[in-house]
Amino acid sequence: MSEAGSEAGSGPAPRKVPVLAFEKLSKEFKLGLRLRRVQAVRDVDLEVQQGEIFGYLGPNGAGKTTSMKMAMGLIRPTGGRALIFGESVERPAVRRRVGYLPEHPYFYDYLTGFEILDFYGQLYEMPKKKRHARVDELLTIVGLDHARDRTLRRFSKGMLQRIGIAQAILNDPDLVVLDEPMSGLDPMGRKEVRDIILALKEQGKTVFFSSHILHDIETICDRVAIIINGRVERMGSLGELLTGNAGLVEVVATGASPELLARLEGDGFTAAVAGHGHRLVVEEGGLDPVLRALLDGGATITHVEPMRESLEELFVREAGAHHAE
Amino acid sequence: MKRGPIMRSEALHPGRVLAVARNTFREAVRNRAFLGLLLFSVAFILSSILLSALAVVGEGARVVVDFGFFAVALFAVATAIVMGALLVYKELEKKTIYTIVSKPIHRYEFILGKYLGLLTILVAQVVALGVIWALVILTRDGTVTFEHAKGMLLVVMEVGLIAAVAMMFSAASNPMLTGLFTFGLFIVGRLVYLIEEMLQAPKGLFVDNPVARAFGEVVVAVFPDLSVFDVSQQVLLGVPVAPSYLLHAFVYASAYALFFLVVALFAFERRDFT
Ligand SMILES: Nc1ncnc2c1ncn2[C@@H]1O[C@H](COP(=O)(O)OP(=O)(O)OP(=O)(O)O)[C@@H](O)[C@H]1O
Ligand SMILES: [Mg+2]
Repeated sequence: MSEAGSEAGSGPAPRKVPVLAFEKLSKEFKLGLRLRRVQAVRDVDLEVQQGEIFGYLGPNGAGKTTSMKMAMGLIRPTGGRALIFGESVERPAVRRRVGYLPEHPYFYDYLTGFEILDFYGQLYEMPKKKRHARVDELLTIVGLDHARDRTLRRFSKGMLQRIGIAQAILNDPDLVVLDEPMSGLDPMGRKEVRDIILALKEQGKTVFFSSHILHDIETICDRVAIIINGRVERMGSLGELLTGNAGLVEVVATGASPELLARLEGDGFTAAVAGHGHRLVVEEGGLDPVLRALLDGGATITHVEPMRESLEELFVREAGAHHAE
Repeated sequence: MKRGPIMRSEALHPGRVLAVARNTFREAVRNRAFLGLLLFSVAFILSSILLSALAVVGEGARVVVDFGFFAVALFAVATAIVMGALLVYKELEKKTIYTIVSKPIHRYEFILGKYLGLLTILVAQVVALGVIWALVILTRDGTVTFEHAKGMLLVVMEVGLIAAVAMMFSAASNPMLTGLFTFGLFIVGRLVYLIEEMLQAPKGLFVDNPVARAFGEVVVAVFPDLSVFDVSQQVLLGVPVAPSYLLHAFVYASAYALFFLVVALFAFERRDFT
């Protein structure tokens, strides 16, 4: 076990064993009769620490699903390895502490909502009474109480996704690996999943998830990795990655008179029409005079926010840069 | 972080195997196609009443007994081949496997559970058809003895072996090929005893042609002799099936089934679920 050394009193604090680690993780698929090679994942190094919500971001075909399947032991790497709690995921005992939601999850459609979760509970060796209680609790958490006794054949796409979420947290896992958890969900469902993920974090759990919905990643992730064409191109906290327009502040005001706007223009600020009001981009240092001028001129300030490159802009920039190569 | 339970669940856990087996059984029971086949086979056996009416007077019960042996074995073998070929394949094709092998279950436990579930289905099928068969014999003024039950037990052993063969092929190929190979093995297996007789004959193909002889010997050595499990003629003649014979047949079937299952396990252990 690799948590040895934690009792070494002196010296620098020992590094904590990451909850999830990819070490030079690679996967090469062989396609067709002529065994054409597809390098789906290339030398990915990545560590997710306890309590983190880690977003895995990348365009279609970037290798997100493939690396997550390697993390879960569904696919064997052709190079490097994936470790969970510092151990090989091939050991069932490790998987006991992990939950996994596959991409577009598929289930036995002849079972009911209750039966399918009960079945998964049996694979965790949960005793019957505890299992039944947990299944009912989960059905409530994912909002499927009403479909408890309906067969999955009659479930909608979003309802199946909810079953997928439920089975991923059934065992109260320490690590949850979610492959596009919000896909197929309505706005309510997306918010519910977001809340579930945040609640997991609150309990000290670790979440590793991929998503196409950048807004979701932006609002809940502590760190993200951007994978493009099998390679992790960028990794870090959102603050580190989204630095493009640092130092600029966006101001929106309504009711600014033409004279006021003309005066500001004279000072070198251009106000663009935005909705019912006007939008100005100001350098952080020069904010006060502008705000004062606006207020004195009788305008109402509706919005002041430091400008940050959105994740979407970063994503498009990275993917675009790669495309141009 | 809690560290306690990490050492548990490394060994084979019967609960997980049974969970998979039970679910496999449940799938069959809820499957319209399977229920349809079951209904059809019941009708098929009932139809032997009509057949027996055509028989020579006094031979009615004989016809029913003979026909029943044939029909029960036929449908059980068909179920073993079709289900054995589809069972694991469907899990991969429909991707239901992802949420299962990512749980703390060994892959071999999953295959064992699938096999046990199929075995349960086959036993239930043979018992159900056997009971119908016995009722038909009684309506034809025949007698049902313990020997008939022994005959059915041997059918179960045979299809248990066939199911293991199907699972082995299905772990490595598609259902079409699996069905073909397994059916081929069934046919050859049923004919092995003929080849054996021909090999011992003082003249004929196997004496004249050394290549054919070598081929025949390999077939006899490799393929299971499935005629072991067919005691219909013996039962018809009223010769009791000795318990030692049953035991021998059981060991024979188990050894083969175990071998095929182990091959299936290894094939399954290695594969990627893409
Ligand atoms: N079984 C397979 N055989 C061959 N190539 C594969 C296989 N599975 C995936 N690939 C290839 O590997 C690459 C990565 O695929 P992957 O599914 O991991 O992408 P992804 O990032 O999950 O994409 P998406 O956002 O569309 O889900 C793609 O080029 C894909 O074509
Ligand atoms: Mg994917």
